[in-house]
Amino acid sequence: MVPSQAFTIAVRIINQLIRDRRTIALIVVVPLVVMSLIGLSFPESTVLDYIAPALLATLALFFSFLLTGISFLRERSQGTLERIMASPVSRLDIVVGYLFGFFLFALTQTVIIILFTIYVLDVHYYGDLWQIFIFQIVIITGAVNLGIFTSTFARNEFQMVQFIPLIIVPQIFLCGVIWPVEQMPDYLQWLSSVLPLTYAVDGLRDIMLAGKTLLDVGLELGVMVGFTVVFSILAAVTLRRGAAG
Amino acid sequence: MAIIEPNEPAVTADEVSFNYSKLKVLDDLSLEVPPGVSFGLLGPNGAGKTTLIRLLVGLIKPKSGSVKLLGQPPSRRIAHRIGYMPQLHSLYSELSITQNVNFYARIYRVTNRAEREQRVEEAIRLVDLWERRKDQVMKLSGGMKQRVSLACAIVHHPPVLFLDEPTVGLDPELRVTFWEHFAYLTGQGTTLIISSHTMDDAAHCDLLAFMREGKIIARGSPTELQQATGKPGSTLEEAFLYFIHREAGNGS
Repeated sequence: MVPSQAFTIAVRIINQLIRDRRTIALIVVVPLVVMSLIGLSFPESTVLDYIAPALLATLALFFSFLLTGISFLRERSQGTLERIMASPVSRLDIVVGYLFGFFLFALTQTVIIILFTIYVLDVHYYGDLWQIFIFQIVIITGAVNLGIFTSTFARNEFQMVQFIPLIIVPQIFLCGVIWPVEQMPDYLQWLSSVLPLTYAVDGLRDIMLAGKTLLDVGLELGVMVGFTVVFSILAAVTLRRGAAG
Repeated sequence: MAIIEPNEPAVTADEVSFNYSKLKVLDDLSLEVPPGVSFGLLGPNGAGKTTLIRLLVGLIKPKSGSVKLLGQPPSRRIAHRIGYMPQLHSLYSELSITQNVNFYARIYRVTNRAEREQRVEEAIRLVDLWERRKDQVMKLSGGMKQRVSLACAIVHHPPVLFLDEPTVGLDPELRVTFWEHFAYLTGQGTTLIISSHTMDDAAHCDLLAFMREGKIIARGSPTELQQATGKPGSTLEEAFLYFIHREAGNGS
């Protein structure tokens, strides 16, 4: 890997998004609208306090996955990925470049969501704010790589959108976002134990509701880092020279 | 411009075959391109031209046979010595002309900033878009995008340049301009491998390979191919048809 090549790709992605003002506006406004609606629909603050960590984890996964997946798909369909693949840039440079490029925007979105949730929706939390951010950063890093990997299997934006009900929605139902995993049948509990959002939700709940530290949620954090590494490898491996088209 | 050893072919393909599932796209194709020439791959749509170019630049691997670029198998190690202009514009539409060309200069390892700025300017001026350099690519016409795409392919001064249907969709005036660029590049020692399905383009090439159904059915200079028909004053279209009929006759 050549860090300067990954940096070049990251800078290009940032420049591209900065010049696309409508996308920037949507990146900022959409999570605010979603969180406002959620906040208004939970008048009981105790319920909102309980569900907020799960929502933060889910929205970080969802928005980062969607943003990266669609952007990477465009790179494939417009032929720019093929052009880069014919250059001296390595697959790892591309994945790392993408990760850093989109990370900035995914992080911005996450910061907005967290600050809005805490200061506008007035959700109570006990853990340290910086530890919440660190945990969220791990989630979005995994989601960015999952988006790149998933885009391998889509040939157009329409197909990519179909992956949302396949990859994101089941996790919302199976990973303890809506109801506790323990109340589900055994086979679904097993399924939830291999899904990243389960660990994201558990870890973030422990930090925000029980005031635990990153060390205390080491298992969840470790599993999330593991998922991130696996998704990064899968994203790089599936970027074969010639994978495009 | 980078220099190739005088006697070393810039590109060789040796009995190369390739298929997409059951469809045979390249069939035991062999090819040798000497350095410093414009080499045209001519043939109808579906002849295998794009697949051959993708294979030569290392985007896909042959099912059998071998390919050499500047004496080595295509790989990332020598990728900085080739330029590739795909059939699609393959540009970042939100970015300006300069940002696009600069991006490709950077990933093709033109690391020195002053040198890179100079090469970016030179490439943009060569395609006559310097006045529009700050414009977003999405605001350009199709022909202008083709020119930006060419600038991106040549900015790092590659000794071998692959151009996949570079003149498709261009108006006649722009087509002439492109061929002036190509003549300039071969004059500088660059080897050009150009795919096309129009005989207008064929006439500009130093050497040609007529392709059909994944095979090269004839090769030589435009004059040699015209003379091979045995009819004085034959056009390249007539020469192409002559070789198609001859190939059909051999096959039956």
